[in-house]
Amino acid sequence: MEKGFTMGQAMAEAQRCLLCHEPPCSVGCPASTDPGRFIRQMRMLNLKGAARTIKRNNPLGGVCAVLCPDCDLCGGKCTVMGLDRPVEIGKIQRFLVEHAWEIGFAPQDAVRSNRVKVAVVGAGPSGLTAAAELARAGFCVTVFERMAKPGGMLRYAIPAHRLSEQFLDREVEEIRALGVTFECGRAVTGPDALQALLADGYRAVYLATGAWKAQRMRLPGSDLPDVVDALGFLKEAREQPSKLRKRVKGRNVAVVGGGDTAMDAAMTASLMSAADVSVVYRRSFLEMPGSQVEKMAALRKGIHFLMLTQPMEYLSAGGKLSGMRLVRDRLGAADATGRRKPEPIPGSEHTVPVDFVVEAVGFLCESASGQFKGIEVLEGNRVKADGLTGETGAARVFAGGDAVRGPSLVSHAVCDGKKAAAAIRKMLQGEVTP
Amino acid sequence: MSARRDLGIDFCGVHFVNPVMLSSSPVSNTGEMIGRAFDAGFGGVAYKTIGMGNIKIVHPFPRMATYDVDGKKVVGLQNVEQISDRPFDDNLADIRFLKKRWPDRIVIASIMGFSNDEWRELAIACQDAGADMLELNFSCPHMTVEGSGMKVGQAFDLVEKFTATVKKVVKIPVLAKMTPNVTDINEPALSAKRGGADGIAAINTVSGLVGIGLDDFVPRPNIFGKGAMSGYSGPAVKPIGLRCVAQMAGSPDLKLPISGIGGIETWVDTVEYLLVGASTVQITTGVIHYGYRIVEDILEGMSDFMEQHGFARVADFVGKAVPNVVHTDQFDLKRQGIASYDLDRCVGCGQCHVVCHDAGGQCLSWDSANRRPVMDEKRCLGCLICSFVCPVNHPSLITAREVPGKAEVRPPASR
Repeated sequence: MEKGFTMGQAMAEAQRCLLCHEPPCSVGCPASTDPGRFIRQMRMLNLKGAARTIKRNNPLGGVCAVLCPDCDLCGGKCTVMGLDRPVEIGKIQRFLVEHAWEIGFAPQDAVRSNRVKVAVVGAGPSGLTAAAELARAGFCVTVFERMAKPGGMLRYAIPAHRLSEQFLDREVEEIRALGVTFECGRAVTGPDALQALLADGYRAVYLATGAWKAQRMRLPGSDLPDVVDALGFLKEAREQPSKLRKRVKGRNVAVVGGGDTAMDAAMTASLMSAADVSVVYRRSFLEMPGSQVEKMAALRKGIHFLMLTQPMEYLSAGGKLSGMRLVRDRLGAADATGRRKPEPIPGSEHTVPVDFVVEAVGFLCESASGQFKGIEVLEGNRVKADGLTGETGAARVFAGGDAVRGPSLVSHAVCDGKKAAAAIRKMLQGEVTP
Repeated sequence: MSARRDLGIDFCGVHFVNPVMLSSSPVSNTGEMIGRAFDAGFGGVAYKTIGMGNIKIVHPFPRMATYDVDGKKVVGLQNVEQISDRPFDDNLADIRFLKKRWPDRIVIASIMGFSNDEWRELAIACQDAGADMLELNFSCPHMTVEGSGMKVGQAFDLVEKFTATVKKVVKIPVLAKMTPNVTDINEPALSAKRGGADGIAAINTVSGLVGIGLDDFVPRPNIFGKGAMSGYSGPAVKPIGLRCVAQMAGSPDLKLPISGIGGIETWVDTVEYLLVGASTVQITTGVIHYGYRIVEDILEGMSDFMEQHGFARVADFVGKAVPNVVHTDQFDLKRQGIASYDLDRCVGCGQCHVVCHDAGGQCLSWDSANRRPVMDEKRCLGCLICSFVCPVNHPSLITAREVPGKAEVRPPASR
């Protein structure tokens, strides 16, 4: 993980801020981040206040600062761009969070429990946010997580070179310190599982199970052992890095796809000493949906970009992957997403040697998220929930994050966690005995 | 150094190749250091203040602390350094060394006696060592030796007495260095004149407290649990230095050449001191911050300034601003104006709106949709604080514009 700003660097960056009236950076963040306020607080040497502003708004303020593509969401509106490059808001935010850790300052106050139990299913960013918000409101929150540790995608999909385990652990510890209980290794499954939680004394449930099903290309040869999906690949990189390194080291790796996950997989393969890493993407560089920062980092790392190219078939020799049959694309008319549709160019088929393929072509919600009684499911297995409150068709069950939206940014997951926490709080207000 | 104009000037009858000197301080502590400053381009030096050595001098640790503001370092500098702690004879040897190696550079021996006899002895010894001039240190605000430095400068009869003592025994010109820590700097300056001083050097450091430790409650620099009101210098005191020099240059009674000191870092600062009546300048904090190399830019900038304004000699613009320094009752209050905006260059930060609203005339409303200030010219006080915070400069987006016949702006009674 890249080093964060020192105090001196953060202060110098904050000094570039114009301290705008109605700061444009503070408008439009899905997680309602208010950089205009915390940067002003930093400039006025109110560092604890700045950390409070960040953490009281977003218990994952550190993780968001590290992962958020701030070039698009807040920095992209920075007024300094009229004079110079935009203020690096994310890096200032990360510094303030880490500074609070360093000086042992807890910006969020733990409160006395009201003994009203709330269950959160899934310890990803949305569940963690809801848990922290509810705990700060006095609720007695238990988070059920099927994996061994909390974090969800933050721990098992985002590679360590972008978010270190220590950093995530530190931020999760802060949430635990608010009184949140984590029940890890406990999957909540079965049609009656949510009602069982309610019967067990939990007065509300927040369902935040994410989108964990990798989409596949379904090409001839997809079932070869060295053709894997990105989620499994990244999860293995986190859980068994030395085992994965043995599979990747010195080999010729192709990553199919153009999003952030494709960049994560390509960088991970490169960091695991793959001989060559190629990103194979059917549209052009401009249309790649990933963040500019990650794309440029991959370019600088020496990863090859095979643009306007898509695989047709995985080739094997002796049961082992030996190559890919590719075809060149040209861009046709715009499709439903507004991007020009790739069309294979007849006669452009060609073969390249490859030893290992990672398919990073999107995630879906697992069908399990739709197997709960009373929960309505939309296309892509997404849970149907109210956009403002997260309410689902099942009584006292709320939902949010990727489980509702499909794959999205961490800041959106945070946003949903906050909204659902507020709705749950409102619903339970009358049930809390002081 | 590529100064094209002759920057020479005569000061108290002594010719300087240029008017830029090191002032008496850590930056002029040894002959070796000063030699390098001369090589860099300095025209002269006020050598680190020499005492007789009868009382042992020890510098406190630490001896300085900075005042940094919002990322700008050494806006001000606080020090409790004493006069030279080196052996008397070494200092005299260094003066001889400098005059031998750099005969065209002016060495002013700064001296401080702790008795009338010491003043006399120091003056003679330094003259004999080859010093071109003397500077009498009546102004160090933090001497650990009782009754010296600024204490003398604040007792005007002593200024006159010690100046007269020195003048009686030397032929070389004598400057009296003034403290700004008095009500009217002309009073000690006139005392020095009565004692026979040939010129005035000002200002020495302003007595200050640069900051207080928040955990130990000790002023900085923190000398093992204690701090002192002591010498504050640097860009932050330049306005005070300019004011003092202008006060003396404007005095009809004083009429002495002035060596201007206080916060000089650039040719602009230097020219400003010359414009208010100094004919040489002295620098310490600028060198403490940037090193001797800054003199190259000062000399080059001065030369270009002279070329731009058609000044053949430095003396041609010394004191040019003095007639324009008036009492406020001389102002033409009939002429008024407003802040004028070049909104095509506005970046939309809205700081102008914030400060106008909270500290000005509330004449700027804010167009949120377009992120631009909207001015009601009739309510503009003409205070121009908006221009102080505007980030678009060189040239300024917000400028002062005279409005002939402008109606008076009087904010209404609050309801």
